[in-house]
Amino acid sequence: MYVKGVGMTKFGAQTDTSQKLVYEATMEALGDSNTKIDEIDAIVSSIVDSESNGERQRGFSSIISSIFKRKVPIVTCSAVCGGGGAALWTANKLDYNNILVVGVERLLTNNSAVTTNEILMAAERIYEQTEGMIFPAQNALVAQQYMLKYGATADDFALVAYKNHQNAFLNPKARFYRKEVTLKQIKKSPMVASPLRLFDCSLSVNGAAAAIITKDETDIKIMGSSLFVDRLSTFESEDMTSWQASVLAAGESYKQAGVSPNNIDVVEVHDAFTPVEIISYEDLGFCKRGEGKNLIRKGITNLNGKLPVNPSGGLKAKGHPISATGIAQIYELVKQMRREAGDRQVSNANIALAQNIGGAGSTVSVHILGKV
Amino acid sequence: MIIRWICEKCSKKWIYPIEKCIYCKGPITKQKGTQMKVAGITKVTIPSPTHPIIPYNILLLQDELGNRLPKKTMKDYKIGDVYTEKKSESDDAVVIIKVKYDIFEAIKDALGLLKDIKFNSEEKILIKPSVVAAAYPYQAVNVNPDMLDALIAVLFEYGIKKENVIVAEQALIGSSVVDAASKAGITEVCKKRGVTFADISKGPFEKVECDGYEFSIYKEALHRKIINVPIMKTNFQLGISGALENLTRLVDEKTQRGMYYMGLDNILPKLVKALPDVFTIADATNGMQGQGPLASGEPAFLNLILAGRNAAALDSIFCEISMIKIPSYVKAAGNGTDTKKIEVVGNEVDALKNPIKTANPEETPHSDIKVIDCKSCPACLNLMHNLTSKMIGLRGNKLYVLIGSQFDERVLEGKERIVAIGDCAIKKMEEIKIGTIAKIPENLDTVEQIVLMKKLLTTEGIPKITSVDKVKSKMTKLLSRVTR
Repeated sequence: MYVKGVGMTKFGAQTDTSQKLVYEATMEALGDSNTKIDEIDAIVSSIVDSESNGERQRGFSSIISSIFKRKVPIVTCSAVCGGGGAALWTANKLDYNNILVVGVERLLTNNSAVTTNEILMAAERIYEQTEGMIFPAQNALVAQQYMLKYGATADDFALVAYKNHQNAFLNPKARFYRKEVTLKQIKKSPMVASPLRLFDCSLSVNGAAAAIITKDETDIKIMGSSLFVDRLSTFESEDMTSWQASVLAAGESYKQAGVSPNNIDVVEVHDAFTPVEIISYEDLGFCKRGEGKNLIRKGITNLNGKLPVNPSGGLKAKGHPISATGIAQIYELVKQMRREAGDRQVSNANIALAQNIGGAGSTVSVHILGKV
Repeated sequence: MIIRWICEKCSKKWIYPIEKCIYCKGPITKQKGTQMKVAGITKVTIPSPTHPIIPYNILLLQDELGNRLPKKTMKDYKIGDVYTEKKSESDDAVVIIKVKYDIFEAIKDALGLLKDIKFNSEEKILIKPSVVAAAYPYQAVNVNPDMLDALIAVLFEYGIKKENVIVAEQALIGSSVVDAASKAGITEVCKKRGVTFADISKGPFEKVECDGYEFSIYKEALHRKIINVPIMKTNFQLGISGALENLTRLVDEKTQRGMYYMGLDNILPKLVKALPDVFTIADATNGMQGQGPLASGEPAFLNLILAGRNAAALDSIFCEISMIKIPSYVKAAGNGTDTKKIEVVGNEVDALKNPIKTANPEETPHSDIKVIDCKSCPACLNLMHNLTSKMIGLRGNKLYVLIGSQFDERVLEGKERIVAIGDCAIKKMEEIKIGTIAKIPENLDTVEQIVLMKKLLTTEGIPKITSVDKVKSKMTKLLSRVTR
């Protein structure tokens, strides 16, 4: 399959309904691909069905049908933060010519305690929710194990945040576009769940992203598409510092694409928390175990580095509207490969990789795109 | 303790209980380590509705088998510290255990943390579960049958003989405990475990006098070790019903009515004194929140078990963790004990604090019907709830239903369309010469009670039961007998 066109809303605090956000992202993708809505043969969507945002809305497939007046197969898949990638993976398996993949979320709609509680539902109910394992805490415990095992420091995490904020500064669709954040601010930000500070955590935002994929050859080929699901709770893994679903998904996608990590030119990883980006460097095979910290220390993953990671600003600074995130990653990589990324354009972006994670390493999709 | 379910043949391990190995069909055993160490710790500084008290710590505990578990605590630890659950030292201690998919193990943990809990294999046991009305287990009106089942299994493991165990209860006055126990799954558990289920209301009772008050107490309760097994619920009349409230059904109907008439604040402490030693193991596996204690409440999914010898202390601690006001009858029974002075083991109170929905004392299941509850007994409360819940969905005029007799004219000031439900309220209204638009006595035919209530709600003026209604009522009854 090929990517025909992409679209996304700005990620931010807009009060638009989910319907409006889906409409906006899809209209851009249709325009980008020069496709008419009645040429869409199937739709795969992703949304979390939030209650905290007041929408209290199930049956999203039919809502999409109403918006676009399309009576075609529409399925909604939910894999919490990994929903967008899961939707793309699903679409890629379907036997239709033109498929719209769209993810949406309205997460910045209530006071933060209520939103935190809503997100907590993605943690295991008996072992984690009852113990107050909000997502920053889950990832803090993972980060701590990583620090103990490999000698990474909080400064390494701060460097990830700093890099991604610098990238988001250049991305007009990012929540932190043109908002300067200094390394000092990051390091002095309040502790949320030690050792993770506020600036180690991604941003709850509203937004949608869409992609149209097709059997017809375009300029962007989906070379690899894989999805693996592992346990929900990190403590169940033998090694909390490596997420097996990520390792398996990467391996499978490299195999499908016939490439190795060395061939990848630009990457969007799921930096829901800064240590996750460092662990992902390793899980995706960009370095050996325990050496992820060196990639960020040496600037290898900077915008002008050898392997730019999260040129969009990532979940950290562009924003993380749950189910839209995985498709927004594809938006960024397509823009990079088409040389349409403006100030944040990386050089020689011909093979790109997107990694989208649901839960703390529970559902992971890896997509490899290639410029034709 | 960390539990894993492990296949004896292929050693695959699960964090959830399974019956046999999904791969090799091998038998499953529980794997339990003996010592836990702190392998990680994070201090959380942001609140959420279910974890409102900050900062709190989450420990990553690991046993010698490599199994891990997160644990919330308000205390500070260091990586490498050995983590142990302290056993209680005080007789009034309350143990709180989180159920990790295994109620049997949770009960054993609870008993293990209580000071000097011993069972003698010849001991005669009376389990007093809370089974108040006919409702399915998911409604959390009655004790979770899985909790009762696990408790009996634990007792058997301690060597207690099944012929020495009885499960005894009576439903709220006006309801049948046989129907309630059957619908609640309690009868099935007793049958499965081979223990007798006894209807307390059938007696016999023995007179016991305590501090000037005479109780008719279920005879078996006076000659057996009592294990009090309440379900922890919100209660629109009492605030909560839990360990103490469950004990009120160890007496006969007349004593119950008298206790409520005289006020639980005054009489309940005397009942506690009159009873032999009671040990409570309370079911908050689901628990109830909102407009409890009957089917208008909703399951709270608390996932806890509380245990202790002091029922008042246990109820007080439940209120603390649920962030609801401790009712006066609980305070009275506990001699006003400061909850901060109650020893709590297993889990910390502050780490468990999670607000549940409270009950509104004026609400009934029908939004147009408000209740004026003047220390009614369970019979009138039950009747009122049954009647008003049958009105759900009907459009109506605003009504006040009056239950209980501890009131004067001032309580009724500014209120119109008052309906007296139950004999006490009717008698008192007659005494103080205040008119009602209707009286619904307890002995009025059930169908006629419903017909009258419907008319009161849906018509203006002062409706009455007509002879046509009476015929219809008889027909309905006849029909229901035929269909049964």
